[in-house]
Amino acid sequence: MSNVRRTSAWIAVCLLVATAGAFAQEAKLLATLKSNAPLKEKSDACRLLARIATKAAVPTLAALLDDEKLAHMARYALETLPDASVDAALRDALGKLKGRRLVGVISSLGVRRDTKAIPAIAKLLAHADAEVAHGAARALGSIGTAEAVAALQTALASASAANRLDLCEGILRCAESLAAGGKRADATAIYDRLRGLKGAPHHVRTASLRGAVLTRGKAGIPMLLDALRGSDYVLVGAAARTAMEMPEPEVTTALADELGKLPADKQILVTLTLGTRADASAVPALCALARKGEPAARVAAIRALPEIGAPSAAPVLVALLGDAEATVAEAARTALGALKGPEVDKALATMLEQKDPKARCTAVEYIGRRHTAGSVQVLLKAAKDADETVRLTSLKILADIAGQPEFPALVALLLDAKSASETRAAGDALSAICVREAQPVPGKVVIRKAVYGAVGKGPSRDVTKEVAGLVKSGKLAIDASNSNFGDPAQGIVKQLRIEYTANGVSMVKTVGENKTITLMAGETPAALVDTLCAAVTKASAKPKLALLRVLRSTGSAKALAAVRTATKDADADVSDAALSLLCGWPTVDALPDVTRLAKTGKTAKTRILALRGCIRLAQMQVVPPAQKAASLKEAMDLAQRPDEKRLALSALATVPAPEALAIVVSQLGTPALKEEASLAAVAIAKEIVKQQPAAVAAAMPKVIEATGNKALAKQAQALLAQSKRGARRK
Amino acid sequence: MNEARRSTRPSPSGKCTRRGFLKGTALAGAAALAPTVIPSSALGRDGAVRPNDRIVVGGIGLRGRGVGDLRWMLPNPDVQFVAICDAQKSARDRVKGMVDKHYGNTDCKVYPEAREYLAARTDIDAILMATGDRWHALMSIFVMRSGKDVYTEKPSCMTIAEGQAVVDTAQRYGRVYQTGTQRLSEASHVFCIEAARTARFGKVHTAYAHIAPWDAAEMRHDWLPAQPEPPKDVVDWDAWLGPCPWRPFNGAYIRGGWRGHYDFHTSCIGEWGAHTFAQAQAGLNCLDTAPVHYQYVKNTTGDGMVTTFANGTKMVLSRGNKYWHGSCGERFDFEDGGWVAAADGYSKPEGSSPKLLADFKKVVADYMARTQRPMNHMRNFLDCVKSRRQTVANAEVMYRSMTTVHAANICMWLQRDLRFDPVKAEFINDDAANRLRSRAMREPWTI
Repeated sequence: MSNVRRTSAWIAVCLLVATAGAFAQEAKLLATLKSNAPLKEKSDACRLLARIATKAAVPTLAALLDDEKLAHMARYALETLPDASVDAALRDALGKLKGRRLVGVISSLGVRRDTKAIPAIAKLLAHADAEVAHGAARALGSIGTAEAVAALQTALASASAANRLDLCEGILRCAESLAAGGKRADATAIYDRLRGLKGAPHHVRTASLRGAVLTRGKAGIPMLLDALRGSDYVLVGAAARTAMEMPEPEVTTALADELGKLPADKQILVTLTLGTRADASAVPALCALARKGEPAARVAAIRALPEIGAPSAAPVLVALLGDAEATVAEAARTALGALKGPEVDKALATMLEQKDPKARCTAVEYIGRRHTAGSVQVLLKAAKDADETVRLTSLKILADIAGQPEFPALVALLLDAKSASETRAAGDALSAICVREAQPVPGKVVIRKAVYGAVGKGPSRDVTKEVAGLVKSGKLAIDASNSNFGDPAQGIVKQLRIEYTANGVSMVKTVGENKTITLMAGETPAALVDTLCAAVTKASAKPKLALLRVLRSTGSAKALAAVRTATKDADADVSDAALSLLCGWPTVDALPDVTRLAKTGKTAKTRILALRGCIRLAQMQVVPPAQKAASLKEAMDLAQRPDEKRLALSALATVPAPEALAIVVSQLGTPALKEEASLAAVAIAKEIVKQQPAAVAAAMPKVIEATGNKALAKQAQALLAQSKRGARRK
Repeated sequence: MNEARRSTRPSPSGKCTRRGFLKGTALAGAAALAPTVIPSSALGRDGAVRPNDRIVVGGIGLRGRGVGDLRWMLPNPDVQFVAICDAQKSARDRVKGMVDKHYGNTDCKVYPEAREYLAARTDIDAILMATGDRWHALMSIFVMRSGKDVYTEKPSCMTIAEGQAVVDTAQRYGRVYQTGTQRLSEASHVFCIEAARTARFGKVHTAYAHIAPWDAAEMRHDWLPAQPEPPKDVVDWDAWLGPCPWRPFNGAYIRGGWRGHYDFHTSCIGEWGAHTFAQAQAGLNCLDTAPVHYQYVKNTTGDGMVTTFANGTKMVLSRGNKYWHGSCGERFDFEDGGWVAAADGYSKPEGSSPKLLADFKKVVADYMARTQRPMNHMRNFLDCVKSRRQTVANAEVMYRSMTTVHAANICMWLQRDLRFDPVKAEFINDDAANRLRSRAMREPWTI
């Protein structure tokens, strides 16, 4: 036997088994229905039969159609059963049932679209029980044949007010069925007749107009326009909505032709309709309205243009940017920013040629806002404009959108800058590119501690592992959200605090709930740094200063070397500025330089700046705590003034090591430093009391004696007690 | 009451002048993205009186999420909330208290029975509805059949057939319908959808859509123990059950314990798929269709089910946080290996390309300009009540995304792959699956 035959045989066996299984299950379920089983079991049986019942189940289920408790579940099983015997059973029940159960059976016949049931259901259209009459009307509508609609129309002619709405519903359903079945003329006649119904509810009038127009297609346009021109505001709205559904291009033409003849409120309605239709042939009419009319209508016309995607409207919008009506100008601005296509670029390019610098500035702004492929090149050209405002505006936008390819051109602009403002703007643009083009280096981010929880006092969670996991997976933007960390403080405003090092730089960032912390660990591409370094060698004093500031923003080793060289520049302004930059360098690579300067700087100012840099960078080192403490001790020894010593003590407070504690304790005897030293000692002690109780026990009595801060003394007492308990345990 | 709110109310004569209307229109146009131009039908029922610029709103079944929606709606100055209907007295009273406090009066009316309420209040333009899932479709149909627009919570239909009936009714009467899939109006999701829809960074081959991390695809069929039925004016149990099969009263149901029961719920797939399938299908340009193939997965939830659209793109159901962090996420994978994703809690979308993400604000601004839709789902509904345009989550969008939900559920229930014809809305050569496209409604509730 071939594989195919074997497979076929296997499928046949499976089907046979499955079918046999289904028959057995059906028999079992029917037996339950015939038994004295509880209601729940019988209800479940009907639900399961709804999936598997066959013709065999129909008599048993039909017998339940008059059962007060199971009638619905019997229909539940029958309604979806694809067998004509179900229809017969339901029809048979029509004459026997009353009230709700009759309503249910009528509904099921409607769902099943049983045409044979039409005469019987039609007799129920004027039934005294309103629910029966209403159900009958809707069911006939669902069946949807000419015979059904005839019955409904006859009934409508003499219907009570209470029954009219459902009869209309039924008639509308019939019209839809006939139209869908290709009998559009029949449907049109039904809608037209319904349109003549006096006192019809507003939505029935809406529905009948819609149907009358849609089934006519192109020929329905005059009817649409009549409604739009009329004073019946229900039909005005209905006409607009219907026009949105019509695919015929002639509808756009008709509406566009009508636009100028309508009052402002209807103009707005039609512009919204034309926007939805998104047919470009409406653009001239919309542009005409955008230029002249009531402000609200002009705004609506302008807003429709991006919906259509009409680049040909760009010159009109450009002209409207300076409109005296502020809402119009703002709408034009938004629309122009959203339009796409070379026509828009061309219109803006033309604007850039205008004599008025304000117009050129506006053009530059919109070129930036549009940010199309050629925008950056146009802006680079505009950055050489004769007018300084245009140049500055261009540079400001370039800071947002330029990238690595434009970097050399921007360096050249900086070198040729004609004013200090321009130099600064070019430098800002270059710095922004350096940051933006920096490549993330996840491995260089080390999460030290992360806490998510209530702002101030309140519950919080250590989420260090979760944040480290996110970083490991490549994320550098961490959302402070319950979805990341759960909710440790329900109903309380929360924050996320992350302590981390990026490229060896220690950082702490805190943001509120639903904000994001971006862990900076980018490396500026070497090509950018090389370009900057090359430019520094050629630049005169002022551009050189600006370039050195850009180099500082990269924090790279090569940039540091360039700044180091500049500290020896012949121009005193340059060398002084380079020294300042060195002292404020963002990475620990500069620590040897600043330490040397703190010792040997030519002026007191340089030495103080260097010492401060030294303390800052020493604190940022990723080294064992004892080594960090030693660096800070060296800085403290170099400090001549209490200000820098306090700075060093503050830095030591973050170093959890007995060596750091010993250094700060040594300063407790100095009156000008004792409070800062006490604070630092308690901060260190809190971190190391479990591991180094002896050191804490030795230090805290001295803090208690030195400090005048009672609260701090209390903390020191507590730490002392804790350290003694710890020492005993050890 | 402040002046701004008072100014939106009708004049004592119930009419507004052309000058007043145009002035209000211009101001609204300046303040909002979409001009609030086309007046609601509140006073235009007979067509003879120029309609007013105010939208008269009533509520049905507002608790929990519904109260949140109400808080969202009330501050809109062009809304006047006038009445609440609920089968539970305590819920009716709570909403009335909230509304009366907002307006500083006692004007909010209460109604226990929906059909009488809808028939009586012909002055109401729109209904805010947040009943349990079992009532969403049928009540939306009742609302629209009474000539009112509707904002309804999701999941918005219990079966494929119900969804189709909602579409038919909205079209028939030209009603404005919005389902509460509000992420379609949130910037992070809109960015992802637009990036995918416009193939801005290459063609998308697969979308991933989040399904709820609780419950399962197979739901409960048991009845909770019977408890004495409360008086009808406290809880109308028959009305609460609505079109669903009868079962004895138990207080847990009305306190939210209906979730997870087959008769009342659409499973873990519907709970979030109502949102995320719409998000994913919007990005795939498949909001006018549904997948044609559903691949059964051997687990209890549908996690990992691959669905395929006629154009070959795939949408994968995902229960965990593999593709996002946060709830109701969607992700799109591009053919070049790139991706974008968003979920609740994102302040901005995430993606493989910083350059792609740098255009976040521009893409969203362009979308808003192109569609005239604000990044505010409720406001989008209110704008459309006035403009008669389609909302972002209109009936068709709801029907298509919920069809995917129901087809995926049916696939899990029958434990086999399914093929589906979205045009005919039927499963191909699968009688058992086709029988699950609808459920007979309990009388007297019928469509």
